[in-house]
Amino acid sequence: MRNNGISIQTQALNKTFGPVHAVRDLDLEVASGGRFGFLRPNRAGKTTTVRILSGLMKPTSGSASVLGMDILTHAGEIKSLTGLLPETPGLYSKLSAVEFLDFIGALNGLEGPVLDRRIDSLLSMLGLEGRQDDLLDSYSSGMKQKVLVASTLLHEPRLVFLDEPTSRLDPSAGALVKDLILVLAEETETTFFICTHQTSFAEDVCDIVGIINDGSLVIVDSPNGIVESTSAKDLEEAYLKIVGGQVDRDSLLAWR
Amino acid sequence: MTRKWYHIAKAEFYVLTSGLRRHRKVTVTIMYVLAAVWAAYFAPMIIGGFLGAIMPMEVMRTLLMVMFPGLMRTVILFLWALLLLFPLSHALQEIKIGQWEIFLSNNVKTRDILAGTFVGKIPMYGLIVMVFAPLLISPFMLAFEVSLIGQALVYTVIALMVLSTIWLSNFITAIIQARLGDSSRGNDIAKALSVVVALIVIIPMYGLMLFMPQLSGILGINAFLVMPFTWPADLVSWVTITFNGIGLTGSQILAFGAILQLDMLTSALLMAAFGLAFVPIAITAADRVFTISAGVRTETVTTVGRENVFLRGIRSFAKGPFGALTIVSLKDFGRKAQNLSKIFYGVVLAIILPMLMQQITIVEGEVFEAAEILPMISIMIGVVGVFPFAGTGFLESKDQLWIIRSAPKGASHFMRARVATGFMMAIPLSLAPTIAMTLMFNLALLSAVQIFCAAYVTVCGAVMVSMGITAQNPNYEDTKSSAHQTVLITSMMLVQFTLIGPLFATIFLDIGLGFNLFRFMESIFGLSGFMVVELVLGPTVLLLVGGLMLHLGIRSLGKVEV
Repeated sequence: MRNNGISIQTQALNKTFGPVHAVRDLDLEVASGGRFGFLRPNRAGKTTTVRILSGLMKPTSGSASVLGMDILTHAGEIKSLTGLLPETPGLYSKLSAVEFLDFIGALNGLEGPVLDRRIDSLLSMLGLEGRQDDLLDSYSSGMKQKVLVASTLLHEPRLVFLDEPTSRLDPSAGALVKDLILVLAEETETTFFICTHQTSFAEDVCDIVGIINDGSLVIVDSPNGIVESTSAKDLEEAYLKIVGGQVDRDSLLAWR
Repeated sequence: MTRKWYHIAKAEFYVLTSGLRRHRKVTVTIMYVLAAVWAAYFAPMIIGGFLGAIMPMEVMRTLLMVMFPGLMRTVILFLWALLLLFPLSHALQEIKIGQWEIFLSNNVKTRDILAGTFVGKIPMYGLIVMVFAPLLISPFMLAFEVSLIGQALVYTVIALMVLSTIWLSNFITAIIQARLGDSSRGNDIAKALSVVVALIVIIPMYGLMLFMPQLSGILGINAFLVMPFTWPADLVSWVTITFNGIGLTGSQILAFGAILQLDMLTSALLMAAFGLAFVPIAITAADRVFTISAGVRTETVTTVGRENVFLRGIRSFAKGPFGALTIVSLKDFGRKAQNLSKIFYGVVLAIILPMLMQQITIVEGEVFEAAEILPMISIMIGVVGVFPFAGTGFLESKDQLWIIRSAPKGASHFMRARVATGFMMAIPLSLAPTIAMTLMFNLALLSAVQIFCAAYVTVCGAVMVSMGITAQNPNYEDTKSSAHQTVLITSMMLVQFTLIGPLFATIFLDIGLGFNLFRFMESIFGLSGFMVVELVLGPTVLLLVGGLMLHLGIRSLGKVEV
């Protein structure tokens, strides 16, 4: 199953939930070792796209391959080679960070000293070493997000799906996650597929950004390329020009 | 000036009736009309017919008169406990004091919050009382042929008791919610308390069903004159006696008076004073009750210690990811107070069963042999195995499920570890009735071992059924959801029918094909055929059904969503 330098490839991918068309004719290619940023408005189906690509959900139509494998026929293999950071934390409140990572490691077939070393290293790197044995129900949302980041990287996936990875993190933790993504992509050829609303994060981290409007992919280019092609001063302005959503001052007071 | 309490009451009512939101007004109106027709017409008619079928009214009247004041206290105790503890249990299942922050930031007075939450609860709980009260009160109204004025007074007393009890319950609920706070830890303790509270409600219910004469005798003693439920009960008794249509003589009324001790006026004054006293108390204390806690950062942080001998034993016995997952699963299950309270609830239920049998032995003079007890226990113990594992203690959220699914064969590994946890938890659940029965019936060691094995196999079967059904329809710890009710009821029914099924099949085989399986079993095993069928066949079928449910559960949990 060769992937010819392409980690993700989709063709006319569609997903509907009754009348809601969450993903519409998505044609996408993400290069191996790349950092692809997926910018979408709220409720535009980015989480659905991630779930389809990680083998958790069937598309309504179209096809997709991840790491050279078809998502419908090789979901198990895809899961073992990919990592998923969900948008909202699904942690076990009555486990400590170490126990939760032990659980995730066991689910992925890891055990013993290798697992212990990875857990210690990741928690230490993310600044949780002093709290690693505290129950997760006492963690702040930022700390929980750090544990989730660690759980996503624990089994050294070749492709990582990150759904809003820094939305709950403070600036320093956000910067750490940015550096972690950049280092992993450069040193280990890990591919990152990042869903985010934060244009500044996408601008700093992603080498390619795709913007989706009304369920369809409107533009795919480097952040600079998108800024230049829309004659905007930064990616946020470019995004607003493409997706819309700028409101004039009069409208902002119209509700009174 | 807006009536803030009214809007809070409206919101509270909307929350309680959220299941009816599409046709709320019409449905609630219809429910009230039906409840009124039920209370005024159907309940007395059904109860009258039922009592008449059991024994002639004259005999019933004599029986009721003998136990009358104590029995009335038992009935009112049940209603009182239901009203006091059911809303409390309901509220504790999901603490939501975040709303208080909204109220207080909108400059709502705490007394308005108290009044609003109280008024909002009245319609639904009032409806519950309209359904239950006629069932409990009608026998007395019929036996004493109480006049219409008398009946109106009786139901007025009950209505006033309902209002004061809901007020008290609302106040206690607010205090407990404020103490526990809106945190993971507080919610966990609250859910555990809701189970314990439910246990308190079922005790008078069991008492009414099974030990009515004994309970009435106990509640009839003077010590209970200080209990708040006694005053409305005695007031109802006085009204019933005063407005009787059976011509009670002066000496009979004096005899009742001697039992009741307090006269009608004193009972009425005590009841009114108790109800009214809590109005200023609650309003005065409201400012201290409705306070916002400091938040997660100030809570006590629990740090886990080194694994104990038991967990280390599992780790060395079951090496690899399965052992690790089982240990994590045990830790997750065992650290949640609500799971432990359900295990406790199961153990209490499991001990109540032999106690009931012993009671029957005492009251009816029947002597049970271990061989007779075993089949009955094995049927009843299935419920004990279902309760702690159906619906809860499984997955906290859908996000957790996504994480599990994102691992290769994650759902299957997760389920195996959960089932192993359930099998370990089945040990105390099976041991409790074994020890209770061994001590109560002076059983030999061999009989105790037999009981334990039968109970353990049944509980394990119930665990498999419960977890399999939960995996097919997870409710993510939301005990108020319809998914939770469906899972709980389906698991209970399936376990019960599976255990009893072979008995019916045996009877049908005998009637239809003339093949007596009981006799056949007896010829092979040398034991009573009934016992073999119930002890061996029932649990065997349960294990098979449990295995099937688990298989379906794993498939459902790990499926790729469409």
